[in-house]
Parts: sequence; structure tokens; C-alpha cells
Amino acid sequence: MPLPDTTTDKTSDAAMSRRSFLRGTAAFGGLTALAASLSPLFELKDFTSAEQFMQKYYKEMTPADMAKVIKRIEGDVERQYGLRPHVRDYKPMDGVEFVYCLNLTRCIGCRKCVHACVNENNQSRNPEIQYIRVLKLPHGSLDVEKADQNYAPESVPEPGFFYMPVQCQQCRNPPCVKVCPVHATWQETDGITVIDYDWCIGCRYCEAACPYFARRFNFAKPEIPKERLNPNMSYLGNRPRKQGVMEKCHFCIQRTRAGRYPACLEVCPVGARKFGNILDPESEVSYILREKRVFIQLKEEMGTSPRFYYYFDK
Amino acid sequence: MKRFFRNYSVFLWRCARIAFVGDWRYYAWMGLLTVICLFGLNAYCKQLVQGLIVTGMSDEVSWGVYIANFTFLVGVAAAAVMMVIPVYIYGNEELHDLVIFGELLAVAAIFMCLAFVTVDLGRPDRFWHLIPGLGQLNFPASMLSWDVIVLNGYLLLNVYICGYLLFCRYEKKKPSKWFYVPFVFIAIVWAISIHTVTAFLYVGLGGRPFWNSAIVGPRFLASAFTAGPALIILALQVVRRVTATAPTPGSARVRPRTLGAGLAAPHSATLEDLEVLAHHLPELATVSLEDRKQSLHGATVLDVAAGDVLLRQGATDDGAFFVLSGRVVVTREEGGRSRITRSAGPGEQFGEVSALTATPRVATATAEEHSIILRLPAASLRKLMQSPKMNDLIHSRMSERLMISDRGLLMLRSIVQVSMLINVFLLVNEVFKEFYSGNLHVASAKYLFVGLHGHHALVPWIWTAIAMNLVAMTLLVLPLSRSLKWLNLACVLCIVGIWIEKGMGLVIPGFIPTPLGAIVEYTPSLNETLVCLGIWAFGLLLYTIFLRMSVPILQGRMSKDNEDQPDITGDETVASVAAAD
Amino acid sequence: MQSRPPPSSRRSGARTNAWLGGLTVVFLALGAFFLANGGGRITPRPNIPLVDAKFLETTPWRRTYADMVKDKEDLSDYDCYACHEKNKPPPIRYDADQKIIIPKEHKDIVMGHGSHDRNNLCYNCHNEQNLATLQVRDGREVKFDNIPALCGSCHGPNLRDWEAGAHGRTSGYWNRSLGAMDRLSCANCHNPHSPRIPTREPAPAPHPLRAVAAAEPETLH
Repeated sequence: MPLPDTTTDKTSDAAMSRRSFLRGTAAFGGLTALAASLSPLFELKDFTSAEQFMQKYYKEMTPADMAKVIKRIEGDVERQYGLRPHVRDYKPMDGVEFVYCLNLTRCIGCRKCVHACVNENNQSRNPEIQYIRVLKLPHGSLDVEKADQNYAPESVPEPGFFYMPVQCQQCRNPPCVKVCPVHATWQETDGITVIDYDWCIGCRYCEAACPYFARRFNFAKPEIPKERLNPNMSYLGNRPRKQGVMEKCHFCIQRTRAGRYPACLEVCPVGARKFGNILDPESEVSYILREKRVFIQLKEEMGTSPRFYYYFDK
Repeated sequence: MKRFFRNYSVFLWRCARIAFVGDWRYYAWMGLLTVICLFGLNAYCKQLVQGLIVTGMSDEVSWGVYIANFTFLVGVAAAAVMMVIPVYIYGNEELHDLVIFGELLAVAAIFMCLAFVTVDLGRPDRFWHLIPGLGQLNFPASMLSWDVIVLNGYLLLNVYICGYLLFCRYEKKKPSKWFYVPFVFIAIVWAISIHTVTAFLYVGLGGRPFWNSAIVGPRFLASAFTAGPALIILALQVVRRVTATAPTPGSARVRPRTLGAGLAAPHSATLEDLEVLAHHLPELATVSLEDRKQSLHGATVLDVAAGDVLLRQGATDDGAFFVLSGRVVVTREEGGRSRITRSAGPGEQFGEVSALTATPRVATATAEEHSIILRLPAASLRKLMQSPKMNDLIHSRMSERLMISDRGLLMLRSIVQVSMLINVFLLVNEVFKEFYSGNLHVASAKYLFVGLHGHHALVPWIWTAIAMNLVAMTLLVLPLSRSLKWLNLACVLCIVGIWIEKGMGLVIPGFIPTPLGAIVEYTPSLNETLVCLGIWAFGLLLYTIFLRMSVPILQGRMSKDNEDQPDITGDETVASVAAAD
Repeated sequence: MQSRPPPSSRRSGARTNAWLGGLTVVFLALGAFFLANGGGRITPRPNIPLVDAKFLETTPWRRTYADMVKDKEDLSDYDCYACHEKNKPPPIRYDADQKIIIPKEHKDIVMGHGSHDRNNLCYNCHNEQNLATLQVRDGREVKFDNIPALCGSCHGPNLRDWEAGAHGRTSGYWNRSLGAMDRLSCANCHNPHSPRIPTREPAPAPHPLRAVAAAEPETLH
């Protein structure tokens, strides 16, 4: 057996240190590559600030907290759009439960409601977000699989079809609220299901849960044309959203909680949309639900109990 | 306490160091995985900057390959621990070491799951909203909140169990049953829960009729117990291969020679020899002088050179051996290659299994260097074991060997076999339910299996998956798959088939058509694919590192005893040096 | 005690060193590639034109006499006796098919009020005794700025719905204590001579992020 001698020890020592050196260079190369792979992050602008990162949950904010947050939002919007908005945190009114009625005899499928909503609520134009989706259905069936969302005839309505706009149904038993892992969406006392855009983590579980395709996700930074920005904003409603959060119809909180009609209703040329307080027997929605004999809730069998009623005059 | 922290720190440091040490195959493999990881990381950074628009997802199909992979990997993690049942409940010793490899796979899989969920989030910076107490975790209403809790809990459980068992092996201490057996049983139950909770994520959505079915949970478990053990069967063979010595003994630096050629003749053992042994084996001191004297009957001391073979696998002699000085390496031939099961230093024994159980030798023992060995006949060993401390020591050391036997693999095969049969049966149930009654909620199933309104992107995928599953099932049922070649093919078919069926075949069709009847198809984008590959590479990287740390510990080649030689990982010794050629 | 490594392992040691060196080069090259690539191409998005502002208009598409009075506009068009003689109701002529012949001075009027030419007589609504007013069937006079009273005399259910706010578009405040709810007049939407709401051009279809399949022709069963 070979006896140990100093020369071979030196060789193996040299071998070891050569190996260690090479391991070191490889590790250095690896770290360099790692740092370089993170280079796209240099272009990350406006993602979050320390203040935003630590922002409290809506229901835990004091009025002072909210005032600070509102100031921040107004400043951000002014910086981005050159227009200082007026942001308020509208609270629900007592004794109010909102209900929407839509007259399927009247709707002509003109889609003006879709665009009035987009305009009023500062939705992204590209990628395009539209809370309302109008379905063209053949007479005789409510099966949405027969629906066409992409109709583009020269004029509407087309004979043999009727039109059904679908937006958030503000369900009494909302599946989206049940599944949100962080309580970023909840239902308020006036029936509107709201989203705290600064709390949402963007997991899109609510989008999977919604049976009405009502919720939208910001896949990219929203693009809102400056000239069409609506400066009358609410915290839970139409203030500009960020990339990576959910949004949906909120019955135009900034209008309805100030006593006004939502934008979709005001633009409808045929008066197919009706909105009001179901707890008020004098409201037009109470009248409709009392007088009209045929009304349907979409996908009633889901047990969601929507606050959106479709009805027919004839 | 201080000593514990010191020992533990040294243990962690050595584990960390060993991850960077290996032969060229190791560096090549780890280098490849690191490159893929970095591509994935770069792709994810682009996603952070530009938003999820860089993926192929949309409002219509709002979950894609990220969640598909997540779902598949939760199953793997759950199944990895289910192998624990035969060992702890049925006492099947063949699988004992495989349990650690299974749990390490579970840990790697859970890390991958957490990574997949994180890259799917639109606002990962807001992860803290999920932490109970700090954020607003919607427990118990939201199934996603359950998933957060059970996945992280499962991770901690497995990290603890593996860490504890490995540290005990490292310290050459017998693990205390109270510190790990209760946790193992908790882990078994928890494993079922993580996958059921993940299934309930889908099942609970009334608005998606394709998912809102009671069979989804059982299908998840059946497919998990098929794919998980199949992955482990393949992984274990890889471990067996990379820790193997070269098949031709002639190329080894140390050539095995028959005992006795050229060195001092064996002489009878004396009390002084036992004293030398007691120096390394303190428990020997508890044996009475009378017993010691009696044990010397027939005991011999052998002086052996490097390469001398002391016992051969399959032979029927029955002595037990103790190393007085030097080192002996114990190898076992498995699957046509011989591999080190452990190495015995001064004070350690080998050959005691056959001595005590009168069975043929299960391994071959070869001296690694000039050694002095004490050979005891079986009766002598039993005499020494009359002392309770010696008895415990011998028995606990008997289980310290790294065995990946074909029998263990075949045991896993039967798990895969039964699970695949159940999986296919449940699929038949699903297809019947969807298509026989002709009611209206079958649009998603139609889209998946036959296409809908001219859209059939997923149809070839699902039928390929079904074909793979059926072929795998047939192979597994036939005795043909007892041969490793066919078993491996069946395993690959299981894994790929179930990945397609569970991933693309479950997640995507749930979104098509949308709740309002529109059909938007989904194709993962290049960026999305790179992120997925990066996370898979990361998981493999983690698992490789885990194996790199645990195999030497399990073989006894990295322990507290050789702390003073931090760079000895065993690579510079017989085995891998020879294997490197 | 370490012995001299045999030639075989020296070769393997060299091979490992070579791989480590190679890895170093690969990593550095990868780093350079990432830096050169930067943030990557921003995914190009198809241009989606802004919707025409006409689709955002809430102005009713017709103006009634009442609107013109409110806005103090020129009402000379409504001065019937500029052409017609007082106390001499203009005769209504019919053609061979019993259809009203619209005089060329009123050629912008298209008669289409009711199916089967139900309203084949101008004086069903117009007051022949006083052309500046309208009349209901029992002869009562209705002023031009009180259209719903006329229309509602036949269309009772619609009138009731309209009064409750359920027919026709409302605007303003649902909460009357905070503001007024504005109703439109019938003639703001319905042309009294052909009341059927005309078809119109719809606003553009949605532009989803990924291509949406065009629906196949529906089949009713």
C-alpha cells in the first residue's frame, strides 16, 4: 500500500484548493446570473409604497385613517391624470336595500349602458373591462349557452331575439364573499357587495365562484383616457384601480349612496332599467315587483338570491 | 443546551456545505436546474412588472397552468406521506428508509405548491393579508383559507419529522418515539386533509357545474395516490443509481481480495481486545466480566488490508463482526448494481443480522483501509447482548442501514396499482354521469371530451391522458410490471397521464364555457411556461439537495463521529471515485 | 490519512473541474443575456378605439313641445293657423286602399300609429276645432305640453306604469328627499305618428383579452 508522503499531500491539497476556487467562481457566476435575472424589476413603477403596503383593512380604518388614504388617492390620481378628483367614502344609508329591475320587453341591446358604466366608473379601456355584458338570446329560451355576446348587426333589436344585460347581481347569498380568503369583498347593509381594492390579493377565487361572470380582474395596468376620467369618486367604487386587483359593478356607489340613479339607468334610451329601494313601498321597484307578474332571477337554482330581477311587460 | 445548539449548528452547516460538493454529474444536474430556475425567475419578474396579462389567462379562464400544477403537486405531497402507513401501522421494515425520502419529496412538493400559488397572485406583496391575526384570513368560510393553514402546517410537520430523524441518525442516537411517532400519525391524517381541502376549493363552487360534484374529492385522492408513489418509485431508483458503485469491481481503487492472503493470521481474541472495543463502545462496559470471558469462546481477531472481503452477500456463515480500528464499508447488490448501505468505524458492528437471525448474508463487507476486526460467533454475540444496554444498542444499529430493495419498490407498486384501478373506475363514473342523462349542465364535460361548438383544443389531451392511464393500469395489473423496466414505463405513464387529467383536464374545462355561455380557450404563454419550468426545476433542486444531505447521513458516512473532517462526504473514497469513471 | 488519488480519479477530478469552469461561464453568459433582454417586450395589445361619445349621450332623442317652451325656442312651427284657416278643419283625404294621404306640407309625417291602420284619422288625436290643441276620444281638450294625458287615455297600463316611474326612462334621484326624479314625456321617446321605437345602431361588441368564439347559429328545440 502506498505510504503517505508530503509531495502527494501537496498535490491533493492543491487539487482541493483548485476545486474550491472553481466552486467559488461557479457560485459567483450563479449569484451574478441571479441578480441579472431580477433586472426587469427596475421597471417596476408605482407598484406599492410603504404606506400602501401597510394600509389597514377598510373595516378597521378610523375616519382619520380614511382621510389620509383619500388624500393619498387624490394625490395619485392628480399626478397620473392631471386632474384632482373628489374622493369620498360614502356610507350606506339606513333603511335602504337596493334592488334592480330590468325590463326584457324593452331592452333593445344597444349597449349604451355598458359604455355609460365604463365611463362613469373609470374602467380600463385597454385591456377592456366592462362590468355589463349584454346577451342576445333567441325567443323562448333563457339558456345562456345559446347566448351571443358578440352581436354586431347594423341595427338592433333584431327580430326573433331578446337582449339581457348581465352585471353583478348583488346576491343576497353571494358566493364571492364566501370564498374570498382575505375578506376583501363583503356585502354592505344596503345590499351592495363591495371590494376594497387596496386589500385584494388578486387570487381570483371570487371570479371562479361567481355564477354570473360579474367580476373582472386587472391583468395589466388599467388605461383610462384623461379626457374621460370621472373625477367624482368613491373609495369603494369608481376610484382608479391598480394592476392585479378585482373589480365589478357596485351599483354606482358614488351616485346611489348620494341618492341618484346609476349611470346605466340614466343612459338607457328605452327606460328598460329600474332601480330603487325595495324597503320603500313607493319606489318604482316596489311597484314593479308588486304589479308585474313575471319576473325571473338568473340561475335561481344556485341559491344566490340575486337582487336583480328581470321581468316582462308582455 | 448549549451543546445541543452547537451540535445542531454544525449539523446544519455541514448539510449546507455538502449541497455544494459533488462529482461532475452532480454539478451538471444542479447547473442545469439552476439555469432553468433563473429563466423562471426572470419570467416571473416580467410578470410582476407587466401584470398577469403576460400569461394566457383571461377573465373567462382565470386560472391556468399555475393552479393546475399546484393541484397536481398537492396530490404528490399528500401521497408521499401516505407511504408512511405501511411502515408505522403495519411495521413493514423494508420501507423504513423510503419513508424519509417520501417525506422529503413531500417537503419539496409543498414548496413548489406555495411557489405556484404565489406566482398566480395578482398582488403577492399583499400576502400578509392572509396571516391570521395580522391580516383578515377568512376562516372557516373560505376554502382557500383552509388551504393556507393546512399546507403550511403540513410543511412544518414534515420538516420537523425529517429534521428530527436525520439529526438523530447524524448524532448516532436512537430517536425517541415520543418525539416523532405521534407527529407521523398526525401527518398521515393531515396528508388526507390537504388534498381534500384542495378538492373542496373546486367542489364548493356551485356556479361551476363541472366541479360541483361529489366525485371530485375521491378522484383527487385516487389520482394522488397513483402519481405520488409512482414518482417515488422513479426517484428511489435514481437515488439507488447515483449512490451505486461501478458494476465492475475491477476498476475500484481498492480491489476486493479474499481474506487471509498475505497478512498476519487471525488469532484468538483476548480480554485486551475487548478492552480496545470497549474504548469505542462504552456499552460494552456494562457486560459482566464473566459474560465477557464466555464470549471469547471462538472469538478471533483479524488483521485485514484494504480491499479484503470479510463477508459476502448471500453466503451462509454466521459470525458477527466488530471494528476495532480502521473502517469497513458494507455494500449491497440491488438491481444489478452494488451500493453502499453504510460504513462501519471503530466500535461499530456488521454482519450481526445473519448472526442473530441465521439468514444468509444481506450484504458484502469490504475493508476500506488497514483494519483490525473482532469476529464473534453468534453465541458470543448473544452472550454480550444479555446486558440490556448492549441489546438495545445492537438492535437500534441493526435498523441503521440504507436499503432500497426491490421488495420495497414492489410494495409501492401495489399502492400505485390499486390507486390507478380506483382512479379509472371513478373516471368511468364521471363520464357516465355527465353523458347518460342528457341534462343541460354538461357543456364543460362536452368541451373536454368531444369539443363544444367547434372548439376542441383539449380533446386530444384528455384522450391521450386516458390512454396513458389505461395502458398504465393494464401494465400494473399484469405480472409483467414486476420487472423494473415495465414498472418504470407504467410509472411514467401514470405521472404524465394524471398530470394532464388533473391539471389541464380539471382546471381548464371548469371555465369553458363561461357562466354566460361564452367559449374562450386557453393556451399558456411562453412566459407562463418558463415560470412553471422554473418552479419545477426549483423543486427538483430542493429535492436533490435534500437527498444530497440525507443519503450520507443515512449511510452513516456523515455523522458526529467524523465532524473533524468536514470535507469528507465520502466522495473522495472508494465509491464515487470509482463511479466517476 | 489521504493517499494519492489514482489516475482514474485524477481524470474525474479534472472533469469535475472542467464542469465547474463551464458552469461559471454559462452563468455569466446567462446574466449578460438577462441584462440585455431587460424587462422584455411589453405584450403588444390590439388597439381598441374609444367608443363614440354619441353612445354616452343621455339626451332624449326627441324634443317635445314642452321642452321647446321651457327652453324658449322658436315655436313658429306649431302655429297651425299660419297656414290653416280658423274654424275650417282641414279635410283628410284617402287613397284607393283607404290609406291616409299625407299632404305635401306635412310630408315629414309617416303614419304608423297602431297595427291595421288603426289610427286612420288625424282627428283621433288632433282637435279639428282648435288645431293648437289635442283631444281625447271623449272630446276633452289636451294641451300640447300635456302629452301623457292624451296617450294615456288609450294606453292606460303604460300611463299607470309611467306615473309610478316604471315606464320610460327616469333620471335624477331615486331618493326623493335628496332631489327630484325627472320623468320624460311620452313624445321624448315615441314619435306620436309612428310611436314604435326605431331600431338603432348598437355600440361596439366587447373586446375580450383573448379571442372569443363566435356563437354558432342557435337552434331552437
